[in-house]
Amino acid sequence: MLKMTHLSKVYRTEVVETYALRDFNIDVKEGEFVAVTGPSGSGKTTFLTIAGLLETFTGGEYHLDGIEVSQLDDNARSKIRNEKIGFIFQAFNLIPDLNVFDNVEVPLRYRGMKSAERKERIMNALERVGLASRAKHYPAELSGGQQQRVAIARALAGSPRLLLADEPTGNLDTQMARGVLELLEEIHREGATIVMVTHDPELAARAQRNVHVIDGQVVDLAEDPRFHTAYTAAAGQVRS
Amino acid sequence: MDIHPILIALRKHKAGTLLIALQIALTLAIVCNALFIIHQRLDRLSDVSGVDESNLFVMVNLWGEQYSTDEAAAKIEQDLATLRQLPSVQDATPTNSYPLAEFDWDNFITMTPDQVGHTTDAAYYVGDSHFLRTLGLKLIAGRDFRPEEVQNLGMRQSNQPPVTIVSKALADKLFPNGDALGKHFYAMTSTPLTIIGIVDTLARQEVDSWSAPYQGQSMVVPFRLAEPWGLRYVVRAKPGQLAAAMREAPKALYAENRMRIIPPKNGLLSYAQVRANAFKRDRGMAILMGIICVVLLAITGAGIVGLTSFWVGQRRRQIGVRRALGATHRDILNYFLTENLLISLGGVFIGTVLAFGLNLWLVTRLSLDFLPLTYVLAGMVILILLGQCAVFAPALRASRVPPIEATRPT
Repeated sequence: MLKMTHLSKVYRTEVVETYALRDFNIDVKEGEFVAVTGPSGSGKTTFLTIAGLLETFTGGEYHLDGIEVSQLDDNARSKIRNEKIGFIFQAFNLIPDLNVFDNVEVPLRYRGMKSAERKERIMNALERVGLASRAKHYPAELSGGQQQRVAIARALAGSPRLLLADEPTGNLDTQMARGVLELLEEIHREGATIVMVTHDPELAARAQRNVHVIDGQVVDLAEDPRFHTAYTAAAGQVRS
Repeated sequence: MDIHPILIALRKHKAGTLLIALQIALTLAIVCNALFIIHQRLDRLSDVSGVDESNLFVMVNLWGEQYSTDEAAAKIEQDLATLRQLPSVQDATPTNSYPLAEFDWDNFITMTPDQVGHTTDAAYYVGDSHFLRTLGLKLIAGRDFRPEEVQNLGMRQSNQPPVTIVSKALADKLFPNGDALGKHFYAMTSTPLTIIGIVDTLARQEVDSWSAPYQGQSMVVPFRLAEPWGLRYVVRAKPGQLAAAMREAPKALYAENRMRIIPPKNGLLSYAQVRANAFKRDRGMAILMGIICVVLLAITGAGIVGLTSFWVGQRRRQIGVRRALGATHRDILNYFLTENLLISLGGVFIGTVLAFGLNLWLVTRLSLDFLPLTYVLAGMVILILLGQCAVFAPALRASRVPPIEATRPT
């Protein structure tokens, strides 16, 4: 489903080159629920934005659903984002001027879908996240957890091949975070492929597989004592 | 492009939307009325005078001595002979006035000597048997004056020759059946004036709006203006020799008799100058209206650019989210173009009502004509195009917002 091989991302200025990702390799199979973890600045968000075709990469290869994406133009990348990828952002990223129904509708409109089909998909998605009764509400009228559920409904409505979640519970309290996480697990059980970036070890532990990123590279946790120590300490703090 | 979500979003930005729509409405109301006035004024600049303007010039001649009527008539004869002998001159005629001269000499016309109230009004020209030929007027019926019909018109004389040549406009006004030739009318005396000739076009002297109902209604009577202070000569140069004739004519007259004044200011005018002077106010008004239109359109355009730029800045993250969800550059560009189109349509709708309201006010207060619908339609097109052009640069900037913007911290 998602395969990156020797991928690199370099930010260049006149005086310095900064590697956000270096020789980055990952292979996510269809139906997997993968958590990408790592400390701040490790490159996990850069990985997610490249995976979601929100930005380009410098070197290496990236195959998404069998398509090599490095040579695609902007329109083709927009089409793939629209049809194959569902985004769940930490800050929800709902459009404040639009109500819940219209927010979920946004990607479907860009797909050129007919009104009746759009309506059916939107209501199905909202029912799935338990917010069908809030379709006419505006984001400001919802709690953080409800807003994130709307964002998940927006991601699901287009029946994407891949769900990308960036710290999906980062802006939520524990109870709301639990609800969102259970929803993601339910979606995964129904067959969705989910890649979730998080620095929360508890959240990562709920995923099917963990991928650890440090200094822009995927590392084997067992072979990296520094990361292992830090990770264990963080997990211990969460448990206590 | 679906307009439903755009309309919903606009509802959330009522103040900005309403301000721009009102600005568009006011601009439309003013611009289409201004364009109408400009067009009317410019139309007048090309009013047909009926005379051979390219070869004519006018000379004011003030006598330096007091002459009796007969002496003045003799001097005029002498002057005309001098002018007509010049190699660059085709003909010359003495007159009280000429088309577009701006100083009017007009008479009320009645059909009977004791008629209460007048039938119409006509510009009044005096001219000799060279008047028609000199001015290049086209005689379409009847005949020209005979030399023996021309009388001297001195100071305080109230005699009236019994014949007249009229413009077709006056003939048709007085005798709508087209049988004016040989008929008579009265011009503020008890002497009936028999129409012996009809010229195709002979414009009035003045271009003021009061005379608009009498446009083109003129009459010529066979007089030679032998008043003690002076008169005007209209001179027709041979084709291509206008400049030479304008140089030679004053010299020849001064050489013949120095006891005269040809005023240095406006004493010698080509017909192009006569026309320019006559329509100076119209041209000025058209320029002023044009400047107002340009300034208003510029302000409205700047307002649209400013508001759209502000909205683009304000919605940068939202644009990034849309891009992340699959919007292409074109989708974002179309979003802002459509948004502006909807605001513009609202504005021009209100503006149409305002435009006709303003016109109605101008009609009742300033006697302007009713605004034709075409001007409003033209104004609508101009403002919608202006809006689309003004919004294009900020919309293009918006379309270049990268999808990564969706992940930037707020």
